[in-house]
Amino acid sequence: MDQNILEIRHLSKSFGKQEVLKDIDFSVREGDVISIVGSSGSGKSTCLRCINLLETPTSGEIVFRGVNVAGRGTNANAYRAKVGMVFQSFNLFNNMTVLENCMAGQIKVLRRSKAEAREHALNFLGKVGMAPYINAKPRQISGGQKQRVAIARALAMDPEVLLFDEPTSALDPEMVGEVLAVMRSIAKEGMTMLVVTHEMAFARDVSNRVIFMADGVICEQGTPEQIFTAPQQERTREFLSRFNAG
Amino acid sequence: MNKFAQLGTDIAKLWTKYGSAYISGIENTLILALVGTVIGCLIGFLCGVLNTIPYGKNDPPIKRFVLGLVRVIIRIYVEVFRGTPMVLQAVFLYYGLPYFSNNSIRFTSVWAAAIVVVSINTGAYMAESVRGGIISVDPGQTEGAKAIGMNHVQTMTSVILPQALRNIMPQIGNNFIINVKDTSVMFIIGFPDFFAAHRSAVGASYLYFPSATVEMAGYLTMTLLASFLLRWVEKRMDGGSSYELVQADQLTMTAGTYSHPDRGSPFDERSTELYSEGEKEA
Repeated sequence: MDQNILEIRHLSKSFGKQEVLKDIDFSVREGDVISIVGSSGSGKSTCLRCINLLETPTSGEIVFRGVNVAGRGTNANAYRAKVGMVFQSFNLFNNMTVLENCMAGQIKVLRRSKAEAREHALNFLGKVGMAPYINAKPRQISGGQKQRVAIARALAMDPEVLLFDEPTSALDPEMVGEVLAVMRSIAKEGMTMLVVTHEMAFARDVSNRVIFMADGVICEQGTPEQIFTAPQQERTREFLSRFNAG
Repeated sequence: MNKFAQLGTDIAKLWTKYGSAYISGIENTLILALVGTVIGCLIGFLCGVLNTIPYGKNDPPIKRFVLGLVRVIIRIYVEVFRGTPMVLQAVFLYYGLPYFSNNSIRFTSVWAAAIVVVSINTGAYMAESVRGGIISVDPGQTEGAKAIGMNHVQTMTSVILPQALRNIMPQIGNNFIINVKDTSVMFIIGFPDFFAAHRSAVGASYLYFPSATVEMAGYLTMTLLASFLLRWVEKRMDGGSSYELVQADQLTMTAGTYSHPDRGSPFDERSTELYSEGEKEA
């Protein structure tokens, strides 16, 4: 299980003249739970969106299981089906019920039968504690519930890597807990996860590696102990001191 | 009051003589408006989808060229058919085709000609409405669909268009009501609609105003009915405001539960953990 699922090599992204990501380099092994932290505007979300090809990288490689998916002529849809994504704004399909949200991708993309997709979806909805709400529409449930459904939707695709883009930032403090609990349990399952987050406790307790980003570069990375107890860089210390004080 | 009594008797006179002509005119008008609106919507949806296929600098030149060309063609179609009167479009198609082809290409039935004209006219308006409907759907919906691996067509048909359709229902209603009224110009190619019934009735009876009153009442009844129906359809599309909680375990007796032993045990442990944590936080 020491294999690299994902390798990010020299990833750069510019929006016009604005260089948002500069030469990002890191790899993800199977079972890794990596937290990407840093202040707003440091490029964390853009990095994650590039990994899922929602943004086209300006240069660099994203190697998934030995194949560079960032180049021309790769099937982005097939790749995205294997890499799940959970968004800050949930992005549940508003025209579908909770259950249909979790079935649509399985039926359309993975070509599963309706019965199989339903069973699989119910299984994961049960896991995130949303089984009673399968007939609700997204507008009828709370933010925390929406995010739990979004996680179930991503899990139902049986992804090899799951990306979280600030999954709790749009939630009020009460709901943050229920979403983090779900994420903890998924991490315990052995799911490979890449989490962009402002929840320092989650980064410290759940992840096995923490990447600190600042101004579009990886400033420092290491185990949670290294980053949180003995940060090497001045920028990292500065960033963390605010959390420790607050 | 005298005049109103006069109007009443005139209308009664018209109705006994031409009642069936008015009725069949109403039927034809409604069928033409409905079929034209439905086909027009399909054209509009097709144009809207083709118009919004994304392409960027990284796509091969052929794809960019084709998609660019498609956008230009749709643009021309929309501008031409939105920018000319339907009555002239009907004349151009019905009389222009045989004129240019020495009678070898022509519509053999006014129905076909009328449906084609109304459809492409409605399609030109709907293309823009659909484009607006698609743009108005939150971009996050597209990202959500993309993130689970859907391609453009799948994203459109299962996520974006159902929501766009709901957003443009008022527009579709508008178009239908406009079509109910504006199909009256089809008398120019001899289409037997409600207004054509008026023309033949007054041609024989010279009761212009009483017949126009019948027409006014008839058209207003049709459009009011259409408004009412459309509101009802919109309500149906919105669905209920409440939902039912499912208390029973949906998975207990599902066939095939045991065919995935690797899914079973660890999750059970996890869900109890989740519930207890959830309760604590609540």
